[in-house]
Amino acid sequence: MRKDIILNTGNTQIYSKLLLAAILILATAGMWGATARVDYTWRWERVPQYFLYKGEEAHKAAQDAKVARIQPQGKSTAVTLDYDDGTQEQFVVDTDALKVTQGETLFGGDTVGFTSSWHVGPLIKGLWVTFWLSGLSGILGLALGLVTGLCRISKNYTLRGLASLYVELIRGTPLLVQIFIFYFFIGTVLNLDRMVAGVGALGIFAGAYIAEIIRAGIQSIPRGQMEAARSLGMTVPQAMRHIILPQAFKRTLPPLAGQFISLIKDSSLVSVIAITDLTKSGREVITSSFATFEVWFTVAALYLIVTSLLSQVVFWMERRLSVSD
Amino acid sequence: MIDARNVVKTFHGRGQVVRAVDDVTTAVTKGEVVVIIGPSGSGKSTFLRCLNGLETFDSGHIVIDGMDLAAKKTDINLVRREVGMVFQQFNLFPHKTVLENITLAQQVVRGRKPAEAEETARKLLKKVGIAEKEAEYPARLSGGQQQRVAIARALAMNPKVMLFDEPTSALDPEMVGEVLDVMKQLAREGMTMVVVTHEMGFAREVADRVLFMDAGKLVEEGIPSEIFSNPKEERTKIFLNQVL
Repeated sequence: MRKDIILNTGNTQIYSKLLLAAILILATAGMWGATARVDYTWRWERVPQYFLYKGEEAHKAAQDAKVARIQPQGKSTAVTLDYDDGTQEQFVVDTDALKVTQGETLFGGDTVGFTSSWHVGPLIKGLWVTFWLSGLSGILGLALGLVTGLCRISKNYTLRGLASLYVELIRGTPLLVQIFIFYFFIGTVLNLDRMVAGVGALGIFAGAYIAEIIRAGIQSIPRGQMEAARSLGMTVPQAMRHIILPQAFKRTLPPLAGQFISLIKDSSLVSVIAITDLTKSGREVITSSFATFEVWFTVAALYLIVTSLLSQVVFWMERRLSVSD
Repeated sequence: MIDARNVVKTFHGRGQVVRAVDDVTTAVTKGEVVVIIGPSGSGKSTFLRCLNGLETFDSGHIVIDGMDLAAKKTDINLVRREVGMVFQQFNLFPHKTVLENITLAQQVVRGRKPAEAEETARKLLKKVGIAEKEAEYPARLSGGQQQRVAIARALAMNPKVMLFDEPTSALDPEMVGEVLDVMKQLAREGMTMVVVTHEMGFAREVADRVLFMDAGKLVEEGIPSEIFSNPKEERTKIFLNQVL
C-alpha cells in the first residue's frame, strides 16, 4: 500500500517537472518568435564594455621640449623631457604606445605616449549608486519605522496620532509624487542635495511600511512576556529591548525582507530627479549603444542579483535565529 | 509584609461594570504561606496581580514591605524587584536559554556581574532539580521543567515575597508533583508566599492560612483545617463540595 503511494508521488513529480520544463521552453520560444518578428538584431557583445572598459590616457608635454632620455622598462617606458626653461619632467608610458624618439624636439601639447587602464563602466557605477542609496534609505526607514511603530502602540495620544498620520499620509500617496514633492518642494526650501532628497524620500516611504510591520510584530508577542519581564522589575524600555523587540524582530524578518527588496526596486524611481542610479545608467547606456533590449534585460538581471543576495542573507539569519524554536 | 486594605478593582466592558476585586482586606506576615482558593472568575488571580502592580486597582491600599502601591510616588519597579511572580503559562523568554532566562533580570535590574548572576542561576537550577538543562531553550523543556525554571528565575532576584498564579493549572497531571515539591521546599525554607491554586491537597498541607474568594469578595479566611473541615459560609461549603 505504502509503496504504491511513494511510487505515485514519484510519478507525479516527474510529470510536474516535465510540465514545468515544457512551459519554460514554450515561453522562451514565444519570446524568440516575438523578437524575430520585429526584426531586432541582438548585439549582446556591446553590453560588457559598459561594465568594464580599457581606457587610454594621453601624456602630453607641457611646453616646448627635447626628449632627453628614453629608458625601456619592459611593458612600460620612462621618457625624460628637457623643457626649454631648464626644468625636467619624466613620463611613464606603455612601450607599445610610445610616440617619441630619442633627441626629438617637441612642441607644448605634443603627445609623448599613452597608458591604458581598466575603468568601471556606467552600469557598475549605477549599480553602486543603487546599492548605497537603498542601503542608506533602508537604515533610515528602519530607524523611522522602529520609532513610529513604538509610537503607534504608545499610551500617549499625541504620539499615537502623529504616528498614524505619518503612516496614512505616506501609504496613501504614490512614491513618485513623494519624490517630486521631496525634491522640488522640500529640497528647494531646505536647499537639499538631490542625493539627500532621494535618500530622504525613499527612507520616509519605507519607514511608514516598516512601522506597521514592527507594530504587528510587537503586538504578536504574547502579553505574558511583557508581564513576566515587568514582574522581574524591568522597566518598559528594558523589557522592550531585551524581551519584546528581539522576539518581534525574529517574527518580522520575512516581511521586513520583503520591504527591503521592494525598497531596492523602488529606488529606481529616483532616476526621475536625475540621480544616476542603475536605471538611469541603463537609459544613458542605451543612448550610446542602441542595444535597448539587451540593456534593459541586463539592468533587470542586476536588480535580480542584488535582491536575491539580500534574500539569501535574510534566509541565513532566519536559520540562525531559529535555534530557540 | 503585605497589607491590603479595602482593595477594589473594576473592569469596564460592554456597558457592564464588573467588580473583579470587591473590598478585599487581608494581611500576609513574613514567612507566611497564604493560599487563595475559589471558583473561576472569583477575582483571585486579579487580586494576586494587583499585589505586584500588574493590575492597577481603583481604590484601597496595598502596602508591600512599607511601600504603598496606591501612592503616586512609589516606583513600581522597586516593588516588583522584591516580589517574585510565577505565572500559569510560565512566560519564559523563548529566545533565551534557561541560564539566560535566569541571569538577564539579575544583570539588567540588579546590576550584577555576569559571573555572579550565572553562579546564582546555577545554584537555583540545582535547587529546582534541572541543573543539566541550563543550555537548553525553553521550547525543549516539559511544562513541569519550564515552570521550575520560572520559579528559579523569580527567586534569582532574591524576592521577599513570591506570588504564584495557578502555577500547576497548565501542566500535565504527572508534572504537577515536581512543581509542588519545589514550592513546598520554598515554604519550608520560610519564604513568604501567596498562592492561587486549585490544588486543595497543597493548600491543606502547606498553607498557614487559606482565603476563599467568590465574586470578587473575600468570603472566608482561616487555617486550612478550619476551612476544609468546618467552613462557616454557605458558599465555601458549596465550593468545597464541588472540588473535594
